[in-house]
Amino acid sequence: MDPKIVITHAGAVSCLGTSPDAVAASLLAPPKTTAVKDFEFHSLPEARQAFAIGNFDPEAILGKKGLRTKDRATKLLLSAIELGCKGLYESAPDGRRPGLCVGTAFGSVASIGDFLSDAIVNGSHNVNPQAFANTVINSPASNANIRYAAHALSSTVATTFNAGLDALAYAIMFLRRGYEQCIVAGGLEEISYYGIVGLDRSGLLSVQGTLLPFAKDGSGTVPGEGCAVFCLETEESAKARGAVPVAEIAGIASCFDPKRGASGFNPGGDGARHAMKQACEAAGIPLSAVGFVAAGASGVAAADNMEALALEELLPATPVAAYKAKTGECIGASPCVSLACALSDMKHGRISGTGSRYPLCREIDLVADTRHAVSAEYALVNSFSCDGYCGSILLKNRN
Amino acid sequence: MKKDRVVVTGLGVVSPIGTGTEAFWNAACKGINGIAPITAFDTSGFRTSVGAEVKDFSPSAFLSPQQISSMGRSSQFACAAAKMAMGDAGLDTAKLDPYRVAVSMGTTMGEPQILEQGIEMLYRGEGAPGAVPADLPAQYPCGVISANVARSVGACGPVIMIPTACAAGNYAIGYAFDLIATGIVDVAMAGGSDPISKIAFTGFNRLLATAKELCRPFDKNRDGMCVGEGAGVLALESLTHAKNRGARIYAEVLGYGLGCDAFKMTIPDPSGSGGILALKRALANAAVAPESVDYISAHGTGTEENDKTETLIIKTVFGNRAKSIPVSSIKSMIGHTMGAASAIEAAACALMVSRGVVLPTINYREPDPECDLDYVPNTVRNAGVRVAVSNAYAFGGNNSTLVLGKFGG
Repeated sequence: MDPKIVITHAGAVSCLGTSPDAVAASLLAPPKTTAVKDFEFHSLPEARQAFAIGNFDPEAILGKKGLRTKDRATKLLLSAIELGCKGLYESAPDGRRPGLCVGTAFGSVASIGDFLSDAIVNGSHNVNPQAFANTVINSPASNANIRYAAHALSSTVATTFNAGLDALAYAIMFLRRGYEQCIVAGGLEEISYYGIVGLDRSGLLSVQGTLLPFAKDGSGTVPGEGCAVFCLETEESAKARGAVPVAEIAGIASCFDPKRGASGFNPGGDGARHAMKQACEAAGIPLSAVGFVAAGASGVAAADNMEALALEELLPATPVAAYKAKTGECIGASPCVSLACALSDMKHGRISGTGSRYPLCREIDLVADTRHAVSAEYALVNSFSCDGYCGSILLKNRN
Repeated sequence: MKKDRVVVTGLGVVSPIGTGTEAFWNAACKGINGIAPITAFDTSGFRTSVGAEVKDFSPSAFLSPQQISSMGRSSQFACAAAKMAMGDAGLDTAKLDPYRVAVSMGTTMGEPQILEQGIEMLYRGEGAPGAVPADLPAQYPCGVISANVARSVGACGPVIMIPTACAAGNYAIGYAFDLIATGIVDVAMAGGSDPISKIAFTGFNRLLATAKELCRPFDKNRDGMCVGEGAGVLALESLTHAKNRGARIYAEVLGYGLGCDAFKMTIPDPSGSGGILALKRALANAAVAPESVDYISAHGTGTEENDKTETLIIKTVFGNRAKSIPVSSIKSMIGHTMGAASAIEAAACALMVSRGVVLPTINYREPDPECDLDYVPNTVRNAGVRVAVSNAYAFGGNNSTLVLGKFGG
């Protein structure tokens, strides 16, 4: 019998805010995007809408010390840890501090691109050697281990849009194998010039700058950014240190769908169905026990059609929340940002709506107007990527 | 959790001294130097100009023209190595349950050449994003490497990319070991891949960490590492699965361990804290006593700091026995292949365990008083290896050790 894995602490930084109360309030408010155009080395030809963290002030969260050489991605991660899990590091003796596993598609892509741009503009032999340290994808996680003097696991997972979910799966493996007692795991992504250009050239961005999950004529996604981390530990470990679980990861599934349609997604949704079923099987519950789904839908028609088809077949009557309508597509961070939203909804006994009604691509119960007084014991958090990565997490409410 | 033993049944190597397991092995036994002036990009203006490029790789031997045009060099290396490992293991995709086949890969830079190409196009196009071909950005995220490998071997189980820099291969093999040992999958293709990277070359140059001519790990006159490229993939299976199909077994994966320096991003903790933790954890995970270790595949980059610290780590864990354990660094021949390094080194360890031969550290001339172990200088050595450990350390203090053993039935 595998030990139960529980979430005992969480910290998140996104356009929804930096505190649990702010997230809860923002989920009830209309989506709020901002225009982004200018970056350190480059400017977009036209401003694009993004779910950027407009007033992100890492110094207010982290203090001034040690931030000079840290890039935005690292500051997002450090801030999420500081807000939700700092106490864990402070209370644990040296050698017993939590492990860390961070999922990200691009890591510090702005630092990597800027390092190259600097070399092109100013000459390779003139680039700042200190900036090189930020060009490895594991730099945010490693910087966090340094800040918190944590010698245990330091790992990074980069399975594109599923990275956050796979980071949780990786951490759970370490807990179940008994390698670590407690691991802070989550997802991270920053908005960058390079990311926006990449999404745009790949045809994934909404020209109108609006993100309408599961829309009949989905026009594309809107980029977001953020970081959400969770302290994972076995139930036994939590009990031993007197920590109160807020939720349990009752099941987690990660698989790969090699079939690709023109857009990259398998229109048949085999992998998506497999992941959802497997997550429930791992928990030993029927699909009918799922109280609501936190969809991966991000406004990209091919992806949303695929997920909707799988939902229509497996969970036809289950309410579907689409948090990306409010958070944007946070890429590698998305599964964990959605998980944080689902936790917030479970805590408040509701399912937050997208805030708008429009024709849907399939017959699913997409929640447009927030439903209150909902008591869901289980929520299924989905994440599917155009590269074939498929994953689902079954969350059990422990509030 | 369910526990099964994990064995290595296939190997695939793309390296600066040869593509293909036997080409690599034969060159390594001869002590061939794979380091030469870099041809992939212009090195004028840098303080050094050598690296370890793969010279004999023909992607068309492994991939279709359509696949080649849709993949970066790192993916091409990785897919080629994975296909070699599958073939070497005699694994037939059609006979496997695809949901019980995993892929676990590591990398340092991912597909840096794609980003380099894209940014250069942006500058040539005076900043117009339209200058970047529409199909280029999708080739950049390092997660596409493991996805491409999964497609090329028909895997539908867990597929993961672990980009923990220069220790990534060991991390990836370790995770695959766990997936099999716990019964989640029967088979996993695990390893690492990296192409020669202008970013890495520039960065290590600016940190004054690159060698001028040769990579000379543990030598008194060592002057740095040589940026390289390549891929290594191991076909791992549960012992039950391997036995049921009568597979040849190179070695057994006994365990692994990870530990973090939590010190600085670009230099190791001089006390070796993370490396010591990783090595101790690996031996405990493998249930192997330090007295049983017959060989150590060193991270051995050839930098002043790494080689001194690694020597200290080995002495701390093995005590008086440290000086009698052969320790070698094949980076002296293949350079530092970044995320591929520990995967290629794991493949080398599997061969050393299987064939009773220890590969040398070439270019070793003058002993360093601070590095005073048996580094198997310059020539291959016949030696029975029952247990081999392989160290890999990385930026950010991400340290790892893998333990392989001779399969004894």
